[in-house]
Amino acid sequence: MERVVLDTVPSMAPLLASSLVRDGVRRVTKHRPRLLPDREVVLADVVQSAGRLATYDRVCGFGVRDLVPATWLHVQTFPLQLVLLSAPDSPFSLAGMVHVTNSMTLLRPVSVGERLRLSSSYGPPREHRRGVLIDMIGEAYVGDELVWRGVSAYLVRGASLPGMLPEDQPDGVRLPSDVDVQADAVWRLPANLGRRYASVSGDMNPIHTSAIGGKAFGFPRAIIHGMWTHARVLAALEPRLTDSYRMDVRFTKPILLPSSVRFGARNEGDHWTAVVRPRSGEKTHLVARISSPTH
Amino acid sequence: MTDRTAVVVGGNRIPFARSHGAYRQASNIDMLTAAIDGLAARFGLSGHRVGEVVGGAVLKHSRDFNLTREAVLGSSLDPHTAACDLQQACATGLEATIYVSNKIRLGQLVDGIAGGADSVSDTPMSVSDGLRRALLAANAAKTLPARLAAISSIRPGHLVPDPPGITEPRTGLSMGEHQALTTSRWGIGRTEQDEVALASHQNLARAWGEGFFDDLVTPYLGVTKDQGVRVDTTLEKLGALKPVFGRGEGATMTAGNSTGFFDGAAVTYLADADYAAEHHLPALARIVDVEVAAGDYTLGGEDLLLAPTYAIPRLLERNHLLWQDFDYYEIHEAFAATVLATLAALNDEAYCRSTLGLSGALGEIDRSRLNVNGSSLAAGHPFAATGGRIVPALAKLLHQRGTVDGRPARGIVSICAAGGQGAVAILEAC
Repeated sequence: MERVVLDTVPSMAPLLASSLVRDGVRRVTKHRPRLLPDREVVLADVVQSAGRLATYDRVCGFGVRDLVPATWLHVQTFPLQLVLLSAPDSPFSLAGMVHVTNSMTLLRPVSVGERLRLSSSYGPPREHRRGVLIDMIGEAYVGDELVWRGVSAYLVRGASLPGMLPEDQPDGVRLPSDVDVQADAVWRLPANLGRRYASVSGDMNPIHTSAIGGKAFGFPRAIIHGMWTHARVLAALEPRLTDSYRMDVRFTKPILLPSSVRFGARNEGDHWTAVVRPRSGEKTHLVARISSPTH
Repeated sequence: MTDRTAVVVGGNRIPFARSHGAYRQASNIDMLTAAIDGLAARFGLSGHRVGEVVGGAVLKHSRDFNLTREAVLGSSLDPHTAACDLQQACATGLEATIYVSNKIRLGQLVDGIAGGADSVSDTPMSVSDGLRRALLAANAAKTLPARLAAISSIRPGHLVPDPPGITEPRTGLSMGEHQALTTSRWGIGRTEQDEVALASHQNLARAWGEGFFDDLVTPYLGVTKDQGVRVDTTLEKLGALKPVFGRGEGATMTAGNSTGFFDGAAVTYLADADYAAEHHLPALARIVDVEVAAGDYTLGGEDLLLAPTYAIPRLLERNHLLWQDFDYYEIHEAFAATVLATLAALNDEAYCRSTLGLSGALGEIDRSRLNVNGSSLAAGHPFAATGGRIVPALAKLLHQRGTVDGRPARGIVSICAAGGQGAVAILEAC
């Protein structure tokens, strides 16, 4: 595997922009690379920003404390995902990829004062009835100790790649699209939430930051980042979790901005099941499962 | 109802940080949650339903009406833990301790947490009265013209936000200005104030160095130690500071012998003595008795910060104790001069007779027993957190001392508060 070591956190806006432009060109030329690059992008020494964490905590509903939520570590690896996806030999760009599931494991508590080594790479492509699933694997180390690992699965509709594995992975948790969990708490998502989350996460994808961006991708308005909703669910449950945990999330339907949604969770012995539903109606926006790292 | 014994099991606080510094992003809820979580980690309380958590903040956002309950819900305690907000200015933390210990003594709780948090960096700002009234009128208006009329009453000056009040509403004087009157009335000199400040810094630095706070403090947001403590301060340095309160010759109060602005949170874990024993929890000291008092300072006859001088004699009499019968005195250093004026007043024949109605002065105390591990001048004074700083530290000190002349070591805590109030408690080693 090719290993690209970066010295500094890459600036995400140019990566996103070039990626979007390249995607537009490819839509016209119909020419795409046929394979996922066998590449790992590494940031060898990352100092976490306590100030940025505090802003992230507030935007997502976490308390301000020394220990970081698992989703924060995902945010730290996101620029590396962008580097992978915006490379000229990458078949797909972030535009047009639909974030369908997320799985992350916090192996031990991580403090904001700890320096991290971060990496991101592609997993093998997986079959999906509507296209191909691309796994983006992220890892965070303190020294040589793996402290966090995350897999984000993105669906590229209508695409396929050679050598696709079956959709279900041996260690994967297959979440249903709905669960029998009552959702009573109401979360009100203001219109500017996408911009607020974008500024703290660096994910400036226009689909989240403006109604025009949302319309460009076929939505009536902007939609909130799936990672915000994921983090908000974690924030609601975090005080009840153990020091290490695994969180699996399935994004079933984007949430338009502004809107109100409902949230609920249930303890099922060795794990929590949580759901986010529209304010009215019984569909789901997100289904989540949180368990100990070994489950 | 039963007569139970309430003991201090331990405590936890975050280091007190200078305002607008390390904790500038943290709210009162964040800091109180951190203090509770550290306590939970220390005593295995994660997932435990504590009888009740009682706390408060002096500078409190109106949205934080359930500050303590919100902190509980954000902590690792069982969410079935009830909580109550309470506020008595700088005596909030001690009054919370009184509340919890009284419930324990009545058999209504087997354990409870008392404390408080205060941020000067994240203070509430309210809109001006003019703007507030106009908005309320607009909201209540039934017709559009009435609403527009209400809104049109807003003037540019109304748009200036109101920071939290720092003056006593009935006198218009800040606490420093009030203390300056007291300082000059009691003839408290500059040097003796600076000596109190120096001792506070030296004692606190020594206690940190000895590891005294290792099981009383949990680091927060990268801060591991109280930021107010100045290891290298000297009488010369303190003496070089310009007075900030008072006028002319009476101007003796400086930034060195007055407490500055700090952010922090502190909690005390209290339990029924039998419950503590059954659950193998430490019992450091028992809460013997408490007293609160207030002084009539509004017309200038009495001192804003000397209300504890009312509480102390009443508490002593009820417990058949003399002012000299304590091995440790914890007198909150709102200002160095507050401590000195409190001691002077209790040693003043005329004041004790005429103002306090006693048969004579209480006398002097052995100053070597006063604030032996430093106090607010060095540690900082995040208002509602101070009680939770003092009580567990005194309890630990008493427990370490054990017995004195065959009786349990005995300590007294005295905290003055805005509004001319004060809270005092007697603790005895277990």
